[in-house]
Amino acid sequence: MRQTILSVVLDVEPQSAKLLAQFIEDFKAAQEPPGAKEWYSEIKERVPLLHFMSMSVFENPAFDPIFVVEANFDGPPGPFWAQMEAAFDVKLRAMLRCCKRPEDGDGPMYDAVTKRCSRYPLAPYFEERTFRPSVFHQGNRGLGRDRILNERELFLATRRALAQPIPTAPNPYRGITAGQIHQKLRAELLAKFPWLAMEAPARISWLERADDLGRLLGFVFVVLLCLSIPGMALAPLMPAHWFLVGALVGAGIVVRLWQKRAALPGEGVRTRSGGLTIARMSAGNKVILGVALVAVLVLHVIIASSIGFVGLWITGWTVHDAACLAAKVVGLGVVSIVIFTAPAVVLWLRLLERSDPSQDAPPIDEHLLGEMARREDWIPQNHMGSVILVKPGILRMALFRAGHHGLGLVLRVVATDGYLGSMRTVHFAHWAFVNNASRLMFFSNFDLSWESYLDDFIEKAHGGLTLAWGSGVGFPPARFLVLDGASHGRKFKAWARHSMAVSRFWYSAYRDLTVDQIERNTRIADGLRKQTLSEQEAATWARDL
Amino acid sequence: MGARSVTGRTPGQPSAQPSKQPASWQLAPPHDKQTQGIVVSGFGDLPSAQALFLMCDWPDEPAAAGPARKGAWLQALTMVAPITDSDGKDDRAASIAFTWTGLKKSGLDPNALASFSAPFREGMYQEDRLRRLGDRIKDKWQGTVIKDGPQWSGNTPVKDDRPPVAMRLPGGKTVPARRPQRQVTTPLTVHALLLLYHQDADKVQDWANEVAAALAPHNVKIVHRLPLDLHLDKAKNVAREHFGFADGLSQPIPFDAGDGGEEGTVVVDGKPAPRDPWHGVPLGEILLGHTNAHAEKSPGPLVLNDTDPSDRRERDLKPEGAPEGFLNLGLNGSYVVVRELRQYVGKFWKSLEDNAQRIRAHDPTATYVTADWLAERLVGRSLDGDMLCPAGMRPAGPGNLPDNAFGYIADDRYGQGCPMGSHVRRADPRDGLAKDHPAATQTLLDAANNHRILRRGRKFGALPKDRYEEDGEERGLLFICLNADIARQFEFVQQTWILNPNFATLYDETDPLVGPEGRFTIGEQPLRRIVEVETFIQSAGGEYFFLPSLPALKYLASL
Repeated sequence: MRQTILSVVLDVEPQSAKLLAQFIEDFKAAQEPPGAKEWYSEIKERVPLLHFMSMSVFENPAFDPIFVVEANFDGPPGPFWAQMEAAFDVKLRAMLRCCKRPEDGDGPMYDAVTKRCSRYPLAPYFEERTFRPSVFHQGNRGLGRDRILNERELFLATRRALAQPIPTAPNPYRGITAGQIHQKLRAELLAKFPWLAMEAPARISWLERADDLGRLLGFVFVVLLCLSIPGMALAPLMPAHWFLVGALVGAGIVVRLWQKRAALPGEGVRTRSGGLTIARMSAGNKVILGVALVAVLVLHVIIASSIGFVGLWITGWTVHDAACLAAKVVGLGVVSIVIFTAPAVVLWLRLLERSDPSQDAPPIDEHLLGEMARREDWIPQNHMGSVILVKPGILRMALFRAGHHGLGLVLRVVATDGYLGSMRTVHFAHWAFVNNASRLMFFSNFDLSWESYLDDFIEKAHGGLTLAWGSGVGFPPARFLVLDGASHGRKFKAWARHSMAVSRFWYSAYRDLTVDQIERNTRIADGLRKQTLSEQEAATWARDL
Repeated sequence: MGARSVTGRTPGQPSAQPSKQPASWQLAPPHDKQTQGIVVSGFGDLPSAQALFLMCDWPDEPAAAGPARKGAWLQALTMVAPITDSDGKDDRAASIAFTWTGLKKSGLDPNALASFSAPFREGMYQEDRLRRLGDRIKDKWQGTVIKDGPQWSGNTPVKDDRPPVAMRLPGGKTVPARRPQRQVTTPLTVHALLLLYHQDADKVQDWANEVAAALAPHNVKIVHRLPLDLHLDKAKNVAREHFGFADGLSQPIPFDAGDGGEEGTVVVDGKPAPRDPWHGVPLGEILLGHTNAHAEKSPGPLVLNDTDPSDRRERDLKPEGAPEGFLNLGLNGSYVVVRELRQYVGKFWKSLEDNAQRIRAHDPTATYVTADWLAERLVGRSLDGDMLCPAGMRPAGPGNLPDNAFGYIADDRYGQGCPMGSHVRRADPRDGLAKDHPAATQTLLDAANNHRILRRGRKFGALPKDRYEEDGEERGLLFICLNADIARQFEFVQQTWILNPNFATLYDETDPLVGPEGRFTIGEQPLRRIVEVETFIQSAGGEYFFLPSLPALKYLASL
């Protein structure tokens, strides 16, 4: 089952910002009635597709406030918005009225939705103002909300069954093998959990996997095509051996790059682990990467040449000439990437990085920090939302957009078990460019405190984090997009904290479960679904009980 | 050592050869004369000690009511109890650290006070911090704190000067008045902690009396005092805490992490210290002003550099390491976390005995489950300090000490030797946290070493006569640890590992020793055991202190 991650971003009427904040607080208060046995039960029952949701207002001296609704739910957006509308129509409409009328084509829809006593459906307007994430990650991919809650109930039931009501009488689960424990437990729980008799629904379907891989390959193809444009443009105009001139220039660029590769004094951070460089990969992965690179290049040449050939042949060229020209153009285009375009881009980037300003001491609002600290660390999960300014420039924009897109696609293919490197504390996280890519939003629903969460990133996944967040103005000094950067731990945390806002409303459908615990529950449930297990499988399964 | 069985030392046998302890690390000049001795040594040669909690008893307002020179008491104190440095063994030792309120009372100016790190400035008993440390939620002290709340702290005032007014909004709505931060106070206020170490209890007591006499004319009182005695177990040459377990066996080992120019600050046998593969931490994790794990000099407090020549205050503080216009007050100092932990020995052993009997009744095949067996699993080491592992216990390491150079992934990934939630495994998970990714061993180990603390605590209170009897005597551990970044080191360990109910894929259990009552899982084949544990340790007071370098102390005494 596929989950959707999105944010709705609305510009707020500045004079109504305080009223909107109060509406959000009231919304939260309505879900936390004093003296109730369980909080958030209304939203849990009426919007069963929802995993996590947050509502925040971000203020910035250079922009009007924005109201962001971040939602992580099962299935496509249509049914989700329908459920939200059915449950909270009046409240959502009141919040929308505090927002500005959009200047673009959605103006009439806004009018229709916010008219007094309007019954116009909200869902189309929310879908219009949705921002799709550039990079997103999910910890428990493919598990629907109801399945997570059911498997949690199952886990608690296994505990009760294994403990036995009388703790001093001999326990029937002791003194037997793991396979026998499995059989006994299954027999005891099948009555209360009849869904154990059914096979586990696939978490990620083959179609989804093929789609993810296909998108990644398509992205690589487009990148190669774009990078080879300079070479392809020149190829028909000059003989191939003139490209040696380009090679000389490229060699010069590489020498210059080598001179500038080190960090400026005081800005380098040597790390042994947690990075995203080729050196860190295992030998097996390096081989795979090498083979994949060669395969992609070969595929690119074949596909691009075929397209070129067909195009030329249709316009009247002979088969032989069309094939030669197409192959020459595409081949030289690829060669030009290696000898010129790629080194030039990297050198340009490095020169920019060396003169990037990084903010050593972002202004701290102690009251805001106190407000945030007050709402954090009540349950094992926490939420963070942050908005930062994006570094300007053509190269920056191209690299960041492409880098984000690529990172998102790679994560979709590679991080299917929820692990980012060696950390698995993220339930749902995403980045999205807003305000015409002048700002970058980040939202994350994660386990434990924000300090330990950022420490996790700094220690175990700083390469990927630097790639995704290095586009922010004031980010600690980075090199080659993935080095250093977030490894400047203290500076990075200060910068990140300063970009955060108070998460006014935040909902989690399973407040006491961490990502690891959800996976554990699923392993136990999958084991109990099977009628028999071999002794080896049963021993592994019983370790999770 | 080759003849030793895999189950470790034979109990009761004296070691076959004299134990050659691995050489310990030292600081090189000039840092050794500037740093307090407690950084490099726990003063194991000085078995008797006392902790004196001092309070400066003069009001903040009006200024005339206090002494003319607020730091004068420090001068008098250091004459009677000269603070030890790190350049070698002495026949008696003293160490001093200050709370934020103590520094304020001693006349440190507001700009310098504002330059300390946030946890120190806010104090341990700030409302949200108490929730993260597991001591208090909203208005209620938790079960891990003694009844009626802790007795002492720095009583750091809450800085919340905005008036909590309600605000009117359109539509008849109002923004309700913001609830001001709760001010948590304790009956005793502590401004400084003085630790005195000597060869026996009488000498320490005489020394403490001298100190009290010297401080009395300056209106500085000793509001709380704890006798700290090592009570070395001479047979095994090991220091035990009150439950009976050998303690202090695993410490971080500092090395120089700076690029060039800084080699040789930490030395072993005169040579620059190598990076220990299992426990190596950059020196800046422990001492302020040196390179830390984030490749920068660990930030410390600063003092304005007003070089007014008519000001005759002694100035050993250096501008190196501080921005232009400031002096480096924190260089070679550190932050100290102190918590007075009361241990209930009788309750501990009685509860484990009951659990053992219950388990044996519940599972007749479990004849090996005794109170000792359970206690070893709770702690993660045997009573003598050997590490648990699936084969039994790890064989001893160099110097005949319990082996400390190991990780968990290699042979104990699933916590079936040393349980996942045991105290030592929670306090330092080493490489054991992502058990699904054994290839990430180095990453996990480096990540865990980012959060190490240097422990210097000692136990207080009389030894229990019968470990199964709760005799009502106050005894426990004065937990003292040094770290340069309180939030990333001590608070991280406490919140993310020790008291985390979801640590290492456990579900609803915290540390069995330090945490509140609950469950404890012991991994076994084929099926785990779950033990009910009670609250065995309660906190009676605590605070964050600043341990100044000796030049910084001289500066404070000149205020």
